Amino acid sequence: MSAAGVRRPVYVGDDGALRDVAEAIATDWAALGVRGSFLARNLDTGEQLGFDIEELIPLASVVKVPLALVVLDRIAAGDLDPATPVPVDPARSSVGHTGLAAFRYPAIVAVGDLLLMMLSVSDNAAADTVLGLVPVADVDERLRAWGCGDIRVRHRMNHMYECAAGAAGNDFSLALELALRDERADRHTIETLDPAHANVGSAAALVELLRRVWCDEISAPSATAELRRLMSLQVFTQRLASELRADTLRWSGKTGTFLHLRHEIGVVEAESGDRVAMAALTRADRCAGLAPDVELAIGVAGREAFEALRG
Amino acid sequence: MDLLAHLEAYVATADETSFSRAADRLGIAQPLLSRRVKTLEEHFGGLLFDRSRRQITTTELGVLLLAYARDVLDRAQRLRQVAGAAGRSRVRAVGVPAHCAPAALGRAIRAAGERGVTLGMRELPPRERDSGLADGSLAYALVRVPAERGAHRVPLGLASPPETEDGQCAPAYAGARRAVQLEDLRPRRGRGAEPGAPLPVLTLPEDQIPAHEERLERAAARAGLPPGRFRPAGSAATALAETLAGRALLLCAEPFARQHGARWAPLGDRSLHRGYDVRAAPDRAGAAAAPDWLVPLLASAVGAARGPKGPPSGPRTEDATARLAARG
Repeated sequence: MSAAGVRRPVYVGDDGALRDVAEAIATDWAALGVRGSFLARNLDTGEQLGFDIEELIPLASVVKVPLALVVLDRIAAGDLDPATPVPVDPARSSVGHTGLAAFRYPAIVAVGDLLLMMLSVSDNAAADTVLGLVPVADVDERLRAWGCGDIRVRHRMNHMYECAAGAAGNDFSLALELALRDERADRHTIETLDPAHANVGSAAALVELLRRVWCDEISAPSATAELRRLMSLQVFTQRLASELRADTLRWSGKTGTFLHLRHEIGVVEAESGDRVAMAALTRADRCAGLAPDVELAIGVAGREAFEALRG
Repeated sequence: MDLLAHLEAYVATADETSFSRAADRLGIAQPLLSRRVKTLEEHFGGLLFDRSRRQITTTELGVLLLAYARDVLDRAQRLRQVAGAAGRSRVRAVGVPAHCAPAALGRAIRAAGERGVTLGMRELPPRERDSGLADGSLAYALVRVPAERGAHRVPLGLASPPETEDGQCAPAYAGARRAVQLEDLRPRRGRGAEPGAPLPVLTLPEDQIPAHEERLERAAARAGLPPGRFRPAGSAATALAETLAGRALLLCAEPFARQHGARWAPLGDRSLHRGYDVRAAPDRAGAAAAPDWLVPLLASAVGAARGPKGPPSGPRTEDATARLAARG
């Protein structure tokens, strides 16, 4: 809280009213001890609002979106068959508490369904199995070739668990405390929280990626269409989706949660035709695994941004 | 020459009109007494007693000086008494928290008096009680220790405004029959939603010690409360006023709340209660133990719970491996 509390966010907003909304969101977050960046952009008008949009933040599970796009691009190019069966053995797969990562017995899953698992329920084992087919370095290279800005893919999902457990010996509270202490001291005991070594991205780069996916300006239309479909199947609704839940709205998103990090990126599409892409990347200054008020504040930000930006 | 001893010999001999009886009265040998009288006569340059007859008599000089000699001895005696009394009444300072029960402190002072010890109670914040013991300005003190380690535990709880006449009670958790759990303090949504911001919880100086504040902050975070919900109160009186006015809740011990007409319910998490030990300043030999009679009296003054300690509560030490992994 100390030094960070004094820091003033750098706002973006195309007019005074949009900047006001951005400031209100930043103030609301700060009151809860939350720092981070936020960006929302109307995909059709290009109007946007947000703050600290260039800051590099470890992505946690948000990285599964660019990863899926690279794999879908391979499929679209005919290099990979989505029907290919892949064995997944819990004894050797990645740690996690959803999907295949929570399985107790070996299973065989097709590549296309691994993508479904990793985007709908944020399955770490599915993601790392996919990374067994398309190596980390290839994913990173493809993204750079596309010009995805600050988005960097450097390690498998399980590396986050390994680093946290390595530093804190399987004690969640201790790992969380280490993360918070490091955040205040500006150093990194847990390597996957260090922007220099983690999978990272900025709100600006992520929103731009979403824009290109939704406007078919990246990869192939079949790949972007499938990514949009898979992101609309996400089961988690406690974050940006929480205040955008109506039959007249459709939310497609991907959350990311690791220790004190709580992120989500996604696009809200209204029946009225409005489309707004957004990215909320947050770090909480609180030693708590669950923080419903922080989730709610992120959700409130999403709704306010959408209502300010829609036509 | 020890003037006082010689004057004593002189006065005793004059009173008794006999060297032997005077020596008996003073508990010394007669030759010593005689020598002292003689030395004194040489000092004053004249006989004090006429020894020519069988029964000694006081000379004219002896009668003249007698009143003055008595006066010197009286004053010396008073000097000794005052010095002795001053030594006996040296006050031993006891550091106690604010808002102790005066009646119980009174019992401690009386019990000390019966043992020839004078206690002076000094209300001090926790850190000054520690430093007072260390620098010797306090003889004894109730020092704060973690609740589960202390010999005495004082339940901490939430004070809330009394029920109003129309039976309205402000927040639902106030004065609940059961203990207050921190997650009860999360803002309510839906039907039970309270207008405005949730009430802050004020903490008293007695609880503003880093170890306790850290523990409280961690427990609050785990219970889903945002940081800053607990905040230090300026003074106890204004904090209580805010509480009685329904604008805050106060984290305090039960007697303090009840005494001022507030409702009170204990915190369910006993690891957040106050723990105390009664400690003594180390003496020259390095030993330090508070007397057995004092310990229970101070414990009751601070409102320590009686009976066996309950099972320890607090964070469970469950930690599923998966919690450390990245999540959705």
